[in-house]
Amino acid sequence: MAETTLPTRHTGVSGSTHKPLWRDAHRLTPYVFLILPVTLYSIWVIGPMFYSVWMSFTNSDGVTRQEFIGLDNYQRLFQDDIFWTSFFNNIKWLVSFITIPIVAGLGLALLLNNDLPGTRFFKAGFFSPMVVSSVVIGVIWSWMYQPFGLINEMLAALGRDGMPIGFLADPDLVTWSIIGAALWRQVGYVMLLYLAGLKNVDKTLVEASRVDGASSLRSFRDIVLPMLQPVTVIIVVISIIDALRSFDLVNIMTRGGPYNQSNVLAQMMYIEAFQNYNMGYGAAIAVVLALISIVFIFAYLRHMLKDEMEF
Amino acid sequence: MSRSLSRIMQSNHTRRELARRGAAFGVSAPLLAGFAGISPAEALAQDGGTVQLASYNSDPAPRARMEGAVELYNESSDYTIELNTTEHEAFKLAIRTYLASDDPPDVLTWFAGNRMRFFSSAGLLMPLDDLYAANGWEEAYPKGILAVSKGRDGSYYFAPTSYYHWAIWYRPSMFEELGLEIPQNWEQFLGLVDALSEAGKIPIAIGTLAPWTAAAWFDYFNMRVNSPEFHISLCDGEVPYNSPEVKAAFEPWRELLDRKAFLPQPEAYSWQDAVTPFAQGDAGLYLMGRFIVDQFPDELEDDLDFFRFPTITEGVPVGEDAPTDGFFAAVEASNPEGANDVLAFLGSAETQQWFVEQGGSPAVHQDVPLDIYDDITRKGVEMLQQSDLIAQFYDRDTHPEMASHGMAAFIEFWNNPDELDRILDELDEVRQRVYESES
Repeated sequence: MAETTLPTRHTGVSGSTHKPLWRDAHRLTPYVFLILPVTLYSIWVIGPMFYSVWMSFTNSDGVTRQEFIGLDNYQRLFQDDIFWTSFFNNIKWLVSFITIPIVAGLGLALLLNNDLPGTRFFKAGFFSPMVVSSVVIGVIWSWMYQPFGLINEMLAALGRDGMPIGFLADPDLVTWSIIGAALWRQVGYVMLLYLAGLKNVDKTLVEASRVDGASSLRSFRDIVLPMLQPVTVIIVVISIIDALRSFDLVNIMTRGGPYNQSNVLAQMMYIEAFQNYNMGYGAAIAVVLALISIVFIFAYLRHMLKDEMEF
Repeated sequence: MSRSLSRIMQSNHTRRELARRGAAFGVSAPLLAGFAGISPAEALAQDGGTVQLASYNSDPAPRARMEGAVELYNESSDYTIELNTTEHEAFKLAIRTYLASDDPPDVLTWFAGNRMRFFSSAGLLMPLDDLYAANGWEEAYPKGILAVSKGRDGSYYFAPTSYYHWAIWYRPSMFEELGLEIPQNWEQFLGLVDALSEAGKIPIAIGTLAPWTAAAWFDYFNMRVNSPEFHISLCDGEVPYNSPEVKAAFEPWRELLDRKAFLPQPEAYSWQDAVTPFAQGDAGLYLMGRFIVDQFPDELEDDLDFFRFPTITEGVPVGEDAPTDGFFAAVEASNPEGANDVLAFLGSAETQQWFVEQGGSPAVHQDVPLDIYDDITRKGVEMLQQSDLIAQFYDRDTHPEMASHGMAAFIEFWNNPDELDRILDELDEVRQRVYESES
């Protein structure tokens, strides 16, 4: 392999001049620009993260006392029934968010990825729930789920007899009902991301595969899907974060009830920290929540990026 | 239009012009905004300055009363109140942040009893002993109310303004139509429930989305089956939750659940939602505080009455829930003199009478004449005056964390009555942990 050397220039290539970094204005400039954002980021984002972790090792109540108590909060957390209920609810949210929006979003994106009249209207329609405030969505869906709300009335009109379904009152149904409202919103978002991703799929490759005789299913599976991989990586990471962050709908629709059956870690943390005045305990829940996100995202990214580097 | 704009954007010369103009605008805009941003309150303030009042009165009727009182005060005083209203439930969570901040509001709305004592024990509240002495409130307010306005150290920290009674509300027209009578004891109450079921009505309406409505039933069962004093010691964490007396308090509740006396799936409804079947004549009874009147449609208010929660164990002293609302001042208030002046205004007989005339809850000040109350309210005040002990309501009488677990436990019992023993055992573990860390 022939060695090619790039022409040396005065600017930009590290090691090509003999001036130290802090004397070299051209190389120094990017770092100078970074000083302000990095400082602000450290103060307002990184700093509070470390403070929260430290607070989780104390018995702070946010108002009076703050003594170091080591791992007591974590010990109490793992023995707390409400924690385990919330944890498994979060798992339900995670599994739902990783599977359904991706399948439905991709399906919708494939359907709408053309210039036929009316597709713009449907694209806007499917995306519009994302634009609406989640508080509004929570309130309206909770009305729809009421025993004499829209959904039960429709089922009755379609001929169903018997007691109205307690979507938000039945402990077995409540988490799935809230997840339903959340998915209604999330699918449009994922559809939009896939539409953008599909625009980047090179049409000529697909046409070439057709010329070679591949069926549309084959060309989808072997050409389109792999080219959507970068978008899918982003979507999965976002879905994981959104699922674990699901506080707004749970708080508005049921406040984690009935008796904590629809509770999620974010809601539990909010109640413990701000209603029960257990800031230290709440911080411990926050740390656990962050760790769960990190584990999932790290595992997923590692799996994905490992394949990419082989290209 | 767009063509000329793009031409402007392309020209270097004009771009520099735009940048210069933009910079000039950027500098001057904040200055102008600063001038415009002087609040009308500050512009009109007299010498005394402003007093920040943080209020949780977000529902329409209480909010109108609060705003009206602020206007009255501002017209006649050196100080000016700046009113900040936060949604009621959100305020309960946000108050901790308000009080712990470096610049808390001067005066805040809140509840008497242990919920107030959490903050007074943390040293966040201004002692009001001088205010009480200067205004003669120790003579003017009922003894039970004075007791719940004191902190644990015996000083006054709370300025009560109103209290209201809890009772079982019903529609007299429905009772007349079905030939029903007011129950005096538990057997009669069960008979009433059965009669309502047979007539096709839901006997008792309730909405437990916010679970404190279920805590009301617990309060009354505990006070009627055991005694009000027992209930207060339970709330103070002195009695175990899994003691036989507490279990006995759940028996009558169980009887109601077995008869399916309550609105089905109450967790799906807020208490305001549950007023709808009651107002429409589909439900017969509603255990609620006097503020249900605010929620009731005005044209039907004549057809609304109440009766005292019936006796269960004969001979037990009568305790009633009568939550007391009022105000307190932050110890770090930036305008302590103003805060004291505002509290004196709010605690005076004249102001409290004004609130009552606007439809507010009964006044604490005993100089307010009883004849200004409408019939319903006067009946409630008389009922309270005849009771032996006034409780503040479960989530105000007990530690906030205990209350939150307690209320979840009541809802869990509601759904799984057979699990009562386990529920009470777990609740008692919480009690031991919470009250152990308190001492």
